[in-house]
Amino acid sequence: MAKLIAGIGTSHVPSIAAALDKGMRHSDEWAPFFDGYIPAQNWVAAQKPDIAVVIFNDHGNAFFLDRVPTLALGVAETYAPIDEGWGPRAVPDFAGAADFAWHLADTMVAQHFDPLICRELDVDHGMQVPMELIFGRPKAWPVKVVPILVNTIQYPIPTPQRMWDLGRTLRAAIESYPTDEKIVVLGTGGLSHQLQGARAGYINPAEDRAWIKDIGPNPQRYRDMSREDYIQVFGSEGAELIMWLVMRGCMDARVNTLCRHYFAPASMTGAGMVLLENA
Amino acid sequence: MPTAGAPSVKPCAAPRYGAARIHLGGAMTTVLFIPGLVCDDFVWQAAIDRLGDLPHAVADISAQDSITGMARDLLARHAGRLILVGHSLGGRVAMEMARQAHGRIAGLALLNTGIHPVRAGEDAKRQAMITMGYAQGMAAVAAAWLPGMMNAQTQPDPALMAQLTDMVIRMGPDVHARQLRALLTRPDAGASLAYKGPMLLITGRQDTWSPIAQHEDIRALCPQARLEIIENAGHFAPVEQAETTANLLADWAQGVARADARLDRIPETPLYDRPRSTAGYVLNKMAMGLSTPQGRADFLANEDAYLARFDLSPDQLAAVKSRDWAEMVRLGGNLFYILKLSAVDPTPIREIGAAQAGLSMDTFLDTRLGKVTNG
Repeated sequence: MAKLIAGIGTSHVPSIAAALDKGMRHSDEWAPFFDGYIPAQNWVAAQKPDIAVVIFNDHGNAFFLDRVPTLALGVAETYAPIDEGWGPRAVPDFAGAADFAWHLADTMVAQHFDPLICRELDVDHGMQVPMELIFGRPKAWPVKVVPILVNTIQYPIPTPQRMWDLGRTLRAAIESYPTDEKIVVLGTGGLSHQLQGARAGYINPAEDRAWIKDIGPNPQRYRDMSREDYIQVFGSEGAELIMWLVMRGCMDARVNTLCRHYFAPASMTGAGMVLLENA
Repeated sequence: MPTAGAPSVKPCAAPRYGAARIHLGGAMTTVLFIPGLVCDDFVWQAAIDRLGDLPHAVADISAQDSITGMARDLLARHAGRLILVGHSLGGRVAMEMARQAHGRIAGLALLNTGIHPVRAGEDAKRQAMITMGYAQGMAAVAAAWLPGMMNAQTQPDPALMAQLTDMVIRMGPDVHARQLRALLTRPDAGASLAYKGPMLLITGRQDTWSPIAQHEDIRALCPQARLEIIENAGHFAPVEQAETTANLLADWAQGVARADARLDRIPETPLYDRPRSTAGYVLNKMAMGLSTPQGRADFLANEDAYLARFDLSPDQLAAVKSRDWAEMVRLGGNLFYILKLSAVDPTPIREIGAAQAGLSMDTFLDTRLGKVTNG
């Protein structure tokens, strides 16, 4: 059976992509942020996973407001970087783990999660940035991917509790998948930020640090919070953090936090990462 | 390894989807009544009686001697989103609150007020009133001042005049002096009035102190405002025609509160719900068109022609052309779409943030994003 080897939570701030594209990886401003990912990159590289399931939200790129899937699942053979307004970024296309993705589709629908199933899909920074942060900038990605897209823009967005349960369904799909492939799950987005309204620029480093520290060992508080609580504590776009709950819900109750990192502000966002392994 | 977090192959049982929370939002919007010169909650009784269960409060502006200070203190004392109802001096305080914290003000009702700066001769007249308050007492002030405030075409109601006189005496000469000094040092409200939310203007047909023209001046700056003229009322419309004024205010405030509960359940946080998505659909669609090379080339070649392809409202068109980010968001723009404008007209995201917060870039960086924290 396939094996879940790690859960990773990480930000996907577009300014991270811009910093990489502008060659600012080692600049004074950005080096501390990127350096914080090195231990996780090394750990993942040593484990040689086969598949990365990436949970993220499209930011008005693949989907316009004419149709907004609450949940979408990629089953494509390949995913190209999308044009977000500045032309597609020069990152490699992502090979899709189509077999596992279809198995996941079967499992999800059997367990009453009914996603939009996407055979052709271009992906934005929500998926590109986490992949670059964990796997660097290779000529070809060392893993195949399965994108799960969650609507976190237009209300109603799904609840944190539903995200956790989706994580459990994802785990069921992994454990019932008849290969010996190694799978990492990336829950992405956040941490605290708000881009819209007079509260724009809101960040909450204290709560971000608590999240990074507790999402592994003590996730219950975050399972109990409402969407409103997420917006209050982490800002309107910080509510993206509900997507980390898919990753955390996918893991065992007891996990070891192997790596953690926090940096703020990355542009207008509290940014960070955790790497979790089942205990 | 079966643990509590391990998956089950059964469908998820009894999920806790937070269904108890019908509304995403927390605190209700509060209606804050701000009385005029030497007035208190007496003038607002009829309106409060008609408000139903809408949260409300009456502002205390008795302790400050400047309009900016009154506004600052009220914003500190009354949390959350506010619907402001200001009469006369209170109207000026309300406008100043909207200037200081536009993002918290859900609506603005201004009664018998104005935006003009201090006029020639005003200082001497008001100083004389301050002196009268101390030298002859507040009953003398009431006798000298109140009759000119009322509808001159009918005899004032003696019972009402007695109640108003009691109120003036109750406020006392110190409050009177402080509030007159506040009026004499008032900011130029006309220069800074840029409120874009719901606005109701009310004045009395026979208000010679703050005539209809002064309210038309306000509406010229805030064209969204609705102007209501109360017949058979002077400067004290809220008590001279209490029922008519109260009905207007209560209906308006309830409508504003309903809309606000829907739109802004968390202060200063425009959640992208159905009303916003509907209002902004075309605006966002215009921006979405910039995600192709052809769309960007067309925009850059002829912005007006590109924008004309979309059925933008005049407000939306003006906001796009002036790159007014806060206004675009107010009109239903969502950052993830309208940000594509910065692909054709480069604008740092932090600049867009500062514009929405109404802060200079330095203040925005200092007070919102703070110092770098790492590790």
